[in-house]
Amino acid sequence: MEGKWMSSQSQSTNFHLLAKIKEFTRSIVTDLSNGQSPVILIHRFRNHCTSPNSNCFCGFNLPCGKDVLTLCRESHVHRIDVMLRVLLIVQKLLQENRHCSKRDIYYMHPSVFSDQSVVDHAINDICVLMQCSRHNLNVVSAGKGYSMRLYSILEKAICFMGWIRFFEGKRLFDCISSPNKVHPIPVHVEEVKDIISVAHYILVVEKESVFERLANDQFCSANHCIVITGRGYPDIPTRRFLRLLVEDLHLPAYCLVDCDPYGFDILTTYRFGSMQMAYDTKHLRVPEIQWLGAYPSDAERYFIPKQCLLSLTAEDKRKLEAMLLRCYLQRDVPQWRLELKMMLEKGVKFEIEALSVHALSFLSMSYLPSKIQGKMII
Amino acid sequence: MEFSSVQNLSLHLISSAFQRCRLSEQICRLSVILARSSSSSLRVSISDTGNGSCLEEFQGLRFSSNDDADNWDGMLSIKTTSISDTEIHNYTINLKASDSSKITRLTSNTKNGARFSGSEVCLSSFVSIDLLVAEIHQFLEKMMILSIPNVATHLVAEDCDVPGSRYEKVFLANGDKELPIPASNLDLLKSGLEDYVLRHGNTLSNKCHYCFPNWEQLKVGSGVACSIENHQHNELVMEAVIIISNMPVDNTECFRKYGDKTEVFYFKDFSPGTVSKSLMKALKGIDWKSYGLKLGGIVQQDRLALLEWENLTRDTHVDIVLHSYNKQTVIPGPRKITQTERNLVKRAVKLSLDDLKEKHAGVLLSSHAVQVRSYAPDLAKTIAGLILSSSDLNFQEECFSLLGLQSQVVGTENMENCIRERIVSVIEMNDKKPHKNKVAPSLFVDDRAQELEFEENDMEEGEDDLDLQLF
Repeated sequence: MEGKWMSSQSQSTNFHLLAKIKEFTRSIVTDLSNGQSPVILIHRFRNHCTSPNSNCFCGFNLPCGKDVLTLCRESHVHRIDVMLRVLLIVQKLLQENRHCSKRDIYYMHPSVFSDQSVVDHAINDICVLMQCSRHNLNVVSAGKGYSMRLYSILEKAICFMGWIRFFEGKRLFDCISSPNKVHPIPVHVEEVKDIISVAHYILVVEKESVFERLANDQFCSANHCIVITGRGYPDIPTRRFLRLLVEDLHLPAYCLVDCDPYGFDILTTYRFGSMQMAYDTKHLRVPEIQWLGAYPSDAERYFIPKQCLLSLTAEDKRKLEAMLLRCYLQRDVPQWRLELKMMLEKGVKFEIEALSVHALSFLSMSYLPSKIQGKMII
Repeated sequence: MEFSSVQNLSLHLISSAFQRCRLSEQICRLSVILARSSSSSLRVSISDTGNGSCLEEFQGLRFSSNDDADNWDGMLSIKTTSISDTEIHNYTINLKASDSSKITRLTSNTKNGARFSGSEVCLSSFVSIDLLVAEIHQFLEKMMILSIPNVATHLVAEDCDVPGSRYEKVFLANGDKELPIPASNLDLLKSGLEDYVLRHGNTLSNKCHYCFPNWEQLKVGSGVACSIENHQHNELVMEAVIIISNMPVDNTECFRKYGDKTEVFYFKDFSPGTVSKSLMKALKGIDWKSYGLKLGGIVQQDRLALLEWENLTRDTHVDIVLHSYNKQTVIPGPRKITQTERNLVKRAVKLSLDDLKEKHAGVLLSSHAVQVRSYAPDLAKTIAGLILSSSDLNFQEECFSLLGLQSQVVGTENMENCIRERIVSVIEMNDKKPHKNKVAPSLFVDDRAQELEFEENDMEEGEDDLDLQLF
């Protein structure tokens, strides 16, 4: 947690946030001095609803209600207690211009926090209250520097490769000289600058195994692109990095996920954001991302043999049925919804690796190029 | 009314005498004299200087007993006169007579122009003097709780065969207290129960200084609930007084008959009543939890209801008295407990608990307020941290001044204590409000939002089935 040089923009953001924290503290002290319970209003956000008529405002990043927290309710007091503890830590971080991870925060009061998710919710509450993103609080999801190489069970080293070069602060990421070399995604996305790229598109893959296959196949040599993997559900730095690349480079982004409910859910997370981070959707989602594969209809199109198709479990079906109700599917991506319905009707799922049944390099040599060139993307 | 023992009949006669005295509104004397003569029969004489009694009082009485140990012939001799009467009327009544009690009118005595009123009721039986004295004693001690102000009771018991066996006691309500004039029944009831608690069940002549060195140790709350029973044109009044006392735990000298249990005294129409199952049900149905009390069980013993608590500290005791009476009747008659009365009990007790809470901050906190209060030290520490760790000194000064602290002497501990006290005070204040502020309904509410909870009403606190406020 060393201090570092700040840009003037982040200096002013810090100052602005510290002022908000002081205002918040002052209002609590004023209420208590007047013999009243502080009333803390926290907006609720969601990125989708499941109402049958699609007459909702889910896509507008507006709050859909408020939680009213006071000292009079037992359930509220615990939430307030946790939030204030995290806020105290954040104030110190901002004043000293230090960073720490969510996990570090958890270990500061493990008996009170009891679980990492409690800290995550508190951070979300503070972001909603202060109307900022998590990185503005100087809280990151993983540690910096060499600790990135240590794959703890909870932290993930998210990777990318391809035809791109940029600076993260003073550190240079030069991937153009060796586009198949794997690099970790920068944690301080706000410090990424001077991005230069000769890529034609960005490919986002769900799984590390697929990413490694592409690396082994030297995919980036033959294809001028940038490949990112979120290793499952993408975390905040991955989503922010992707969004930055799309905004800065104006490149199309294609998503390659397994043909199963969880793959589809990961796809929608990239495109529409997650419920947990719904308050920050506008900074995290990538509305331009498209679904490259694998579709349920690809099973026939690419002659995947029956033994590679797995039956949907009862839980899979429940998840699919729930996802089909999401308002944004019908409204924004009806073609995705049709494929999803087909998955449920056929009752089967398959992994990307099933494409290797024909040849090990089928994915790199045939599937991906044909999809991209033939524009078979929805 | 039917009686099966001389003791019960005697207590009823004393109670009637009390009513006559109370209703006369004059200062009255009530004497209960028990004298065992050499023939070993016990003469019980109950005399009062209240309103004169009328025959109707006695005509409804019956006595039936299979136990001949009392060996009572069933005869009552009555002398009575009203203030306006010119003579003293004499009767005998045989309560054992199978037809309506045989009343024999005897020769009246002239009053020779004197103006007075009163009655004397006598009976002779072979019941044990010690047992009867003990029962009457206990009865009179309980009557003191009602604090009927204009009655002085004199109890005398003597066994003529045993020299020096004379026992005398005077029962006088509110001996050394100053009560507002005119004092309401409720004020008297409060005063009476306070005395009862301070004098350990009225067994001491003065308050126990060991247990109660300060007056502040008694916390008193009272409440009244009324209902109009239209078909009888009567107002049924239910009064409740609750006292919470804190006594030193290490005290082995002072003895409480029922230990940690709460004695619920029940009076009906200015006389000790028996706690019925219906009343027990009413007591059980009270939402004690919202006052931080956990009721373990309720038993009936010695004409009392005893409440057992699961979470009272050892030094805390709770005493409760209930009094129900009709406002318009002169001589109260027997009345069954109705649904209305059950609800009145609940309401009156709830009002008295609310009253106590209102007067004493931090007492009877609901269990959820106690839980919330346990967060106060941590919250105070964090808020103090937010202030003291801020690099903006102006902001710190502002907070000091808001909290009423002088910046020069502010240390972390002072700041934390100050904030903690404010938080505790807010929590206790909010727990007092009888109705939580209902959140106004939003215009645009999405009922489908399931992800995060939004508690609009207190479902965690018990709901009172008759949450009405009459006053």
